[in-house]
Amino acid sequence: MSAPVLIGYFEHEAQVLAATRAVREAGHDLRDVYTPYAVHGLDDAMGLKPSRLTWVCFGAGLLGCTLALSLQLYTSVVSWPLNVGGKPFNSFPAFIPVTFELTVLFAALSTVAAFLVRARLFPGKKLQTLPRVTDDRFAIVIAPRQSPESLEAAEDLLRRHGAVATDLKEVGP
Amino acid sequence: MSAPVEAASTESQGGFAVSPVFHRAAQVAAGAGLGVLVLGLVQAPERALTSLLTSGFYFLCLGLGGAVFLALMYVANAGWFTVFKRIPEAFASYVPWGAVTLLALLPFVTTLYPWAKPGVMETDHLLHEKAAFLNVPFFAIRMGVMLAVWVGFTWMLRRNSLRQDVERGEPLTRKNVTVSAVFLVLFSLTFCLAAFDWLMSLEPHWFSTIYALYNVAGLLSSSVCAITVVAVLLHRAGALPRLNSSHLHDLGKLMFGFATLWAYLWFSQFMLIWYANIPEETVYFIARMHGGWEVPFYVNVVLNWALPFVLLLPRPAKMNPNHLLRVAGVLLVGRWLDLQLMVAPAHQPEGLTVGVYELAGLVGVGALFTLAVTRAVRTSPMLPVGDPYLVESLHHHT
Repeated sequence: MSAPVLIGYFEHEAQVLAATRAVREAGHDLRDVYTPYAVHGLDDAMGLKPSRLTWVCFGAGLLGCTLALSLQLYTSVVSWPLNVGGKPFNSFPAFIPVTFELTVLFAALSTVAAFLVRARLFPGKKLQTLPRVTDDRFAIVIAPRQSPESLEAAEDLLRRHGAVATDLKEVGP
Repeated sequence: MSAPVEAASTESQGGFAVSPVFHRAAQVAAGAGLGVLVLGLVQAPERALTSLLTSGFYFLCLGLGGAVFLALMYVANAGWFTVFKRIPEAFASYVPWGAVTLLALLPFVTTLYPWAKPGVMETDHLLHEKAAFLNVPFFAIRMGVMLAVWVGFTWMLRRNSLRQDVERGEPLTRKNVTVSAVFLVLFSLTFCLAAFDWLMSLEPHWFSTIYALYNVAGLLSSSVCAITVVAVLLHRAGALPRLNSSHLHDLGKLMFGFATLWAYLWFSQFMLIWYANIPEETVYFIARMHGGWEVPFYVNVVLNWALPFVLLLPRPAKMNPNHLLRVAGVLLVGRWLDLQLMVAPAHQPEGLTVGVYELAGLVGVGALFTLAVTRAVRTSPMLPVGDPYLVESLHHHT
C-alpha cells in the first residue's frame, strides 16, 4: 500500500479549474482530476502533455498500409501471378481499396487497444470510484509529500478554492 | 446578452476598410485581365473561352461554396462559425458577378462545345442521340435557371443575416435554416447539371456519373480553404480579433476532410473506369495520362490530397495560421489545376498551357471576386452582433 492520497470534492466547474491550477502552482503532486463530463481547459490546467496516442495511430496505420501493399504485391506478382482481364500483375490501383481498409482497421483497433492498455482497463478489473464524480461532483486527487505540514497546506488550499469536502484515502498502485 | 458581446460590438462598428491602393489594384487587374480576354476572343477564341470557363467556374464555385458552407452550418444548427460568418457571406455576394462571367460564355457556345458546332449532329450518331438534351436553347435555359436559383438563394441567406444585425434574435436564424434546407436540395440538383453541362459536355461522347459529386468535393475543399485564408488575413489586419485557434482547428479539420473526400471521389471515378477498361470511358483518362497532360495528371493528386493530407495530419498543424495559409494555398492551386484537367484537354490536347490568356482569366475573374468580397466586407459589420449563436462562437473551444 502506498501513502494515502488527499481528495478534494468540488461542486462547480470553474472552482475545479482554478483549484487544479493552484495545486500545481503550489508544487503539490497532482495525481488526477475526476469530472462527470469533459471540462474544456482542464488539460491546460493540469499541465497535460499532448497525447502520444496519435503516434500509435499513425504508426499502426503505416504498418497496416505497408502490410496490405506487400501482401497483395507478394501474392499477385511473386507467389501466384494470375492474368486478370489482361491487366499487369502489379495492378497498383486495384490494391488501393484493400490498402485503405487495412490502414484504417489497423489504426483504429491499435489506438483503442493502446488506450485500454495505457489506462490499464481490462475486463474484470476492480475499480475504486469516488462518490458522485460520475454524476454531479468534481474531484481533485493529490498525492501529498510525507510531512503532515504539507498535507495540511494542501487541504487548506483545496478548501480555499471552494472544496465542499476533503478526504484521505488509501489507494492501490 | 452578456458583456463580451457588447464589447465585441463596439470594436467592430461598421465594416473593415480595405486600403485604397489594394482596391485600385484590384480594379486595374480586373479591367486588364478581362480586357486581354476580350482581345483573346479575336486572337485565339478557344483558348480565351477555355480560360474564361475555368476561371469563371473556379470563382463561382468559391462564391457558391461560401453559401453551401453557410447552409450546411444552418441546417446543422452549428454555432462555432458565427464569429467569421461574414466571410462565407461575402463569398456568397460574389455569386451574381460569377453568374455574369458564365453568362458571357453563352454567345460562344458553338465555339466552346463540340456538340454545338453546326452540322455535327448530322454526322455524329452518338451526339444525335443526345440532341434532345444537348442543344443550345435548352442549354441556355438550364444555365439561366441554375444561375437564377443560386443568385436568389445566396442573396436571401445574406440579406437575412444582415437584417439580424438590426432586428436581433432567433426568428431570422430559423428563417435561414429553412432557406438553407431548400437551397441545399436545389443546389445538389442544379450543381450536378452545371457540372455535366458546362464541364463534362466539353467531351460529349464521354460520361461519368460521379463527376458532379467529385466537383462538389472540389468546391467544398476550395471554399473552406478560401474562407480560412481570408479569415487569417482579416485577423492579422485586426478586423477579426475574436478568431481563435479553435476556429482555425475546425477549419483545418474541414480542409483535411474535404481534401480526403476529393481524393476518395477522384479515385472512385478513376478506378472504376480503369478496371472496366471500356474504350468509351477510358478515352477521358487516355487523353490525360499520356503526352503533355501526364505530369499535371499526377501532380493534381499530390496537390489536392497527398500533400495536404500529410501536412494537416498533426493536431497542432491545424491550429497554426501560417501553416494553414500554406496548405490552403496548395489546395487552391490544386483546385485550379484540377479544373484545368477537366476543361482544357478538350481544346488543348497537346498539354497544359499557362500563357497570357490563361493568366488573364485567372487574374481578371480573380480580381472581380476580390472586389466583390472586399465590397461585402467593407459594407457590413464584421461581427454578426444579432446572431444568437455569437456567444457560443466567441467561446468556441475544441
